[in-house]
Amino acid sequence: MNKLSARQVYFLLACILPVGKLILLPARLADVSKNDLLLPAALHLLLQAGAVFCALLLAKRNMSLFEMLEGTLGHVAACVLQTVFALFLLFAALLPVLEQKLLVQSVFYDTLPTIASFAPFFLFAAYACSKPLASFGRMWDMLAPFSLAGYFGILLLSVGSADLAALAPTGAAGASGFFGGTMSAFAWFYDAALLLPLLGKIDYTRGMAWKGMLFYLAGGAGVLIFLAVFYGIFQETSVNQLYAFTATSKYFSGIATLGRADYLFIIVLTLVMTFSCILPIQGAIECALQAYGRKRWLAIVLSVGASLVFLILVLVLDYRFGEILAALSGVLFWIFPLFCLALPPLLLLFGRNDRARA
Amino acid sequence: MRARKFWKTLPMKLYLLLAAAVCLYFFANDFSLVDIQKTAIILAVGIDKAEGGFSVTAQIAAPKGTERTTGGTSSVEVAAEGGTVSDCISAIFAKTGRVPKLVFCNLIVLGEEAAKEDVIAHLNYFLRNDYMPDSCFLAVCEGSAGELISSQSAIDDASSLAIEKLFSDAAVKAGNVVSNTLKDFAIGYYGVSGSSFLPYIRTEEQEGGGNDSEEGAAASGGGEEAQRVYTATQTALFSKGKMVGLLSAEETLAYSLLEGNVFTGTFSSTDGEKPVTLTVMKNEGGVSLDEKKGEVKLELSLTVRLCCRGVTATVEDIASDSVSPEILQNAEKLLKGYTERLWETCKACGCDLFFLKRTLYRSSKKKFEEEGEGLLAALTPKIEADVFSMK
Repeated sequence: MNKLSARQVYFLLACILPVGKLILLPARLADVSKNDLLLPAALHLLLQAGAVFCALLLAKRNMSLFEMLEGTLGHVAACVLQTVFALFLLFAALLPVLEQKLLVQSVFYDTLPTIASFAPFFLFAAYACSKPLASFGRMWDMLAPFSLAGYFGILLLSVGSADLAALAPTGAAGASGFFGGTMSAFAWFYDAALLLPLLGKIDYTRGMAWKGMLFYLAGGAGVLIFLAVFYGIFQETSVNQLYAFTATSKYFSGIATLGRADYLFIIVLTLVMTFSCILPIQGAIECALQAYGRKRWLAIVLSVGASLVFLILVLVLDYRFGEILAALSGVLFWIFPLFCLALPPLLLLFGRNDRARA
Repeated sequence: MRARKFWKTLPMKLYLLLAAAVCLYFFANDFSLVDIQKTAIILAVGIDKAEGGFSVTAQIAAPKGTERTTGGTSSVEVAAEGGTVSDCISAIFAKTGRVPKLVFCNLIVLGEEAAKEDVIAHLNYFLRNDYMPDSCFLAVCEGSAGELISSQSAIDDASSLAIEKLFSDAAVKAGNVVSNTLKDFAIGYYGVSGSSFLPYIRTEEQEGGGNDSEEGAAASGGGEEAQRVYTATQTALFSKGKMVGLLSAEETLAYSLLEGNVFTGTFSSTDGEKPVTLTVMKNEGGVSLDEKKGEVKLELSLTVRLCCRGVTATVEDIASDSVSPEILQNAEKLLKGYTERLWETCKACGCDLFFLKRTLYRSSKKKFEEEGEGLLAALTPKIEADVFSMK
C-alpha cells in the first residue's frame, strides 16, 4: 500500500491546512478581539502545534487510529468511538464547505448566482473522497507550490497598503476580547484531528514529529502575518470584510491600471482551499472504512452519501449561515478541543503502541 | 499491458478532469457575461436629504448612443426617493427595470444638507454591499448632489468622469485637492478619533460653453443646458459623521503639505508688492505627538523646496533658478499662517483631522483614557515651516 511520505505531510501542514483560515476567520477574530486578533490565533496555533506533534508521534507506531482504539478499548468501543470521531469530522467540515460556497458565489459571480454554480464541488468531493489517501498525497505535492504562490502573491500586493500600527495597543480588547476570540476561533483550528485518520498510512521518518510541528508553525506564521496585514488595511472596518484574502490586495496601486490582476492569486488559493475543505470529509470516510472494513463499494457509498448530505445541508442552510457560525463558534465550540486537542495526547498516553499486543 | 496501465491511471486522470471542471464552474464568473440590456451599470451616486428620507440620483452608463454624446461614455441619471438609501436603489430598479450594478461605481457624492447628518447612515448600504468597491471616491458638494451628478460637464461626457479626474494622483500631488475613499472615511469614522474629511465640490458655469449637440437638443425639443466645470479645492471636515467645518483652499494646501505628498503644486506669494507663483518641488511634512514626558505635545512641521515661476526674471536669475531670500521669508510666513489657520479651524469644529486621538490611543491607552476626550482643546501645537530654494 502506498504511504504518505514525510514531504507530503509537511506540505499538508505548512501549505494546505493554513489556507482555510484566510476566509472568514480574520473578520470573525477582528469582530471579537479587535486589534488583538493575533493573540487568540497565536494561542490556537501553539496548541495545535502541540497536538500535531502528538499526532505525528502516534504515526511512529505504524498503527491506524482504529487499531489503537481497538487495542485499548476493544472492538465494539473502538467502532463506536471511531464512528463518533467520523461524525465529528463531518461536523467540522460544515463550516469550510459553507465558507467555500459563500466565497465562490460572492467573489466570483457578480450577478445572483444559483446553487448550480457551486454544485460541481459535491461531484468533486464525492469522487475525491472515494479515492485512497495516497492520491491525496500526490495532490498535496502539486498544490503546495500553488498555495505558496497564491499566498505570497496576495501578501506582496497587500502589505504596502497596511498600517501595522493599527495593531497597537496590545491588550486593548482586554481579557474578554482574548477569551472571546479564542472561543470563537475553535471552529477553524482542528488540524491535528485531520492527521488522526492518516495514522498507519504515514511513512514515519526520524524527527518527523518535531519537524512536522515546525512546518505547521511556519504555516501558522503565514496566517498570523496575513491577519496583521488584514487588520492593518481594514482596521475598525475589518468586521465587514467577510472574504478576507480576496479583499486585501485590491488596494495595490497597479490594480487601478491593470484591473483585478490579483484575481490570479485569489483563484489559485481558492483552488487549494477546494482541496483543503474536503479533507475532513475524506478523513471521516477513512475512519468509517477503518472501522467497518475497507471495501471499494463502501468507500463509494459513503463518499456519495456524505456529498449528498452536504449538498442538502447547503441547500437547507442557504440563508442560515449566521446562525451556523454563531452556533459553531458559540455554544458548540467545546466539541473542537475535545477531539483535536485532547484526543492525540490521550492516545499517546493510553493507546496501545504495538500491533502484536493489540 | 497498455490497457492495464490505462485503467490504472484512469482514476487520476478523471480526478484531474473533475478538478478542472470545478475550476471552470467556480471561476467562470458567469463567463464574464453581463446582459447590459438588463443591467443598470451605475457610474456614480448622489445622495441628498429629502422629506422623510433620502433622494438618490444614480448616473447610469447607457449602452447606446444618446444626444448627450457622440462617443465615449454616455449616461442617464435616474433619481428616486425613499426612507433609506437601500429603498432608493430598489426604487431605481423598479423605475428602470434594470438590476442596479454597483461594481463600476467609483464616486459617491453627498449633498450639503445630507452631510450635516451622520453620513454613515447614508453610506451603510454601500459599505455593506459586497459588490460595491470601497475604494470609490467620496465627496461632499455645495447644494444638491443630484443636481451635481445630473449636470453636464464641459470637459467630459459624464459629470462623474470629470469629477473623478479632480481626484487623480496628479491633482492630489499638486496639493490643491485632497481625496478620500469610502473605506478610509469609514475607518476614520469608526476609529477612536471619530473624524475624517472629504473634498468639497463646487460647480461653475462654463463661460461661453454651449451644448455640443445643439442640433440634437433642438431636434428633441430640449433647451440648451449650461455646461459646467467642477472644483474641489476646499475640504469638508467631519466629526462623528457630521460635516462640522470647511477648510479653505489655503488650509487644504497646508494640510497636503503636512501630509508631505505635494510635488509640483503651486501657491501664490509676494515679492515686495509684486505677486509671485511658487512651485513646490520637494515637500516633507510631519505631525508628531509626544506624550512620553507626561505632557502631551504636538508639533506640526513642513519643509518645502521651491522654485519661482511666472515672474519677470533676468537671464542670470533663470540660469541660477534660485529664489530670493525675501520671497522665501514671505513664503515661510505664509505657509506658517495657513497651518495655524488650519489648526484653529480643526480645533474650533472638533475635527481630529490628524488622528491625534488615535496616535495617543496607540501609544498609550491609559493616557488616551485620561486626556483623549479634551485632547484637541488642550493642545497648542508648535508649528514649523522651513522653506528653501530648490537651488
